[in-house]
Amino acid sequence: MNPLDKTSNLVNNLLQWKLITWLIVKFMSVRNAILGLLAHRPRHGYELHDAFEAMVGGEQNWDIKPAQVYTTLNRLEKLGFVIEDGVKQEGGPEKHIYAVTEAGRAELHDWFNKPLLSDRRRDEFFLKLMLSVVVKDGDPHKLIYIQRAGLYKELHAITTQRRQTDPKTELAYILLLDQAVMHLEADLRWLEMVEARLDEISRQPIPEPVERPRGRPPKGE
Amino acid sequence: MSIVKTEQLTKVYGKGATAVTALNHLNININVGEFVAVMGPSGCGKSTLLHLLGGLDRPSEGKVLIEDVSIADMSDDRLTELRRCKMGFIFQFFNLIPVLSAVENAALPVTLDGVKPAEAKAKAAEWLERFGLGDRLAHRPDQLSGGQQQRVAIARALVAEPAIILADEPTGNLDTRAGDEIANLLQDVSQQYGRTVIMVTHDPRIAAYSDRIIFLKDGKVIDETPLTSVDGQNDQTTIADRVRELGD
Repeated sequence: MNPLDKTSNLVNNLLQWKLITWLIVKFMSVRNAILGLLAHRPRHGYELHDAFEAMVGGEQNWDIKPAQVYTTLNRLEKLGFVIEDGVKQEGGPEKHIYAVTEAGRAELHDWFNKPLLSDRRRDEFFLKLMLSVVVKDGDPHKLIYIQRAGLYKELHAITTQRRQTDPKTELAYILLLDQAVMHLEADLRWLEMVEARLDEISRQPIPEPVERPRGRPPKGE
Repeated sequence: MSIVKTEQLTKVYGKGATAVTALNHLNININVGEFVAVMGPSGCGKSTLLHLLGGLDRPSEGKVLIEDVSIADMSDDRLTELRRCKMGFIFQFFNLIPVLSAVENAALPVTLDGVKPAEAKAKAAEWLERFGLGDRLAHRPDQLSGGQQQRVAIARALVAEPAIILADEPTGNLDTRAGDEIANLLQDVSQQYGRTVIMVTHDPRIAAYSDRIIFLKDGKVIDETPLTSVDGQNDQTTIADRVRELGD
C-alpha cells in the first residue's frame, strides 16, 4: 500500500472513530432521556419527541428526529427497559403507548448515579493551533482570530436567545443557556491566554515522539 | 452613516527614550446607532482611545472626526459644548452624588446647563422610568444596588439626549447578573433609542451584546469582529479576508 493511502486510511479510521464516539454519546443521552420521560409517565412516540424538544428549549438547541425516537424505543424494548402499554387511537393511525419496566428504572437509576464528564483534553482547536505553528504558511494568529470571531458570534446568539426567555416560566431553559454562555466565556478567556503566549509557544517545537527501538534487535548484539 | 471616525489617530505619552505610544495610527469608523465594544489586553490603548473620542484628551497626531468634523479644529468652547450635548459618559464607578436622589443625580447635567430644574427632573424621571427605576426616583445612591446606581448613571448620560454614549468598563464594578442587566440596557440604548454606544470592556460576556468588537493591541486594531449581520456579509470568509488585510 502506498504511504499516502495509508495516511488517508488512518484519517478515515480516526474520523469514523470520532463519529462513533459522538453517536454513542448523543444516542446514550437521548436513550436515557427517553427512559426518564417514560418513568415520569407513559407516552407514545410522538409525545416523547415533543416532550424532549420542550425540555431542551426547542430544536435550535437539540434537534432530534421522530424516527430517532422510534428506533430508540425499539431498542429499549428489545433490551427489556420499556414495554408497550396500550394503544391510543383518535381518528388517525393508532399510537403505541410505552411505559418503563423495572429493568428500565434500574438503568435510569444507574444513569442518575454516575457523574458525566466531558473530556476537554481532546480539543480539535488545540490540534489545529499546534499544527499551524509548525506547518509552513500556517498562521496561528489568523486561526485565533477566526476561532474568536466564531465563539463571539455564538455567544452573541445565545445571549440574544437568553434575552427572549422569560425567567418566570422558563428558568430551566435559562440555566441551560447559562451553561453554554459560561463554557464560551471560558473558551474565550483561554484563547486570550493562548494569544498572549503565542510567541513563547512558537519558540517551543511541538513535542516529538520518544524514539523507541522497534522490531527485533539486529543480530550479533 | 459614519458618526465617529479616527484617521491615523496617535497618542504618545512622554518624550524621547521614555515615550510610550498608547495609540499607533489608528483608523476606526463607527456608524450611527452602532453598539461597539473595544477590547484588548491592559495597556493596549482602550481607555486612551475613549478619552480621545470624548475630547477629554488631545491626540499627538491624527484626527478624531465627529459627524465628519475634526474635533482638533474646534475651539475649547465648542469642544465643551460637544462633550455636553453630543456625548454621554458612563464609568466603572458610577460617580453619583451621594446627597442627591436618583432623579436629581440624573437631572444634574442638564440642570447645570441651565434647563429649569422642574423640566430637567421630568426628563430625568422619564429615562429612569424607561430603565425600570420609576419607583426609585427619590432614593439616594446608598439606597440603591450597584446595578440600579449604574442605571441612574446611564439615565444621567442620556438626559441631554446625546447621539453618542462612551462607556468605560460600565460593568467592571458589578456582579454577573447586574452586569448582564446593564449590557442589556446599553443594547436597548442602541437598538431602541438609536444612540451610538462605544464601550470599553475586558469581559467577553458583556462584549457579546455589542454589534461589533474592535480588538486593540499595542495601540493598533488587530481584528474586528462583527456579531450582527451587516447585509449578509458577515461570514467566516470575510472575517478571514479582513484578518489577512490587517496582517499586512
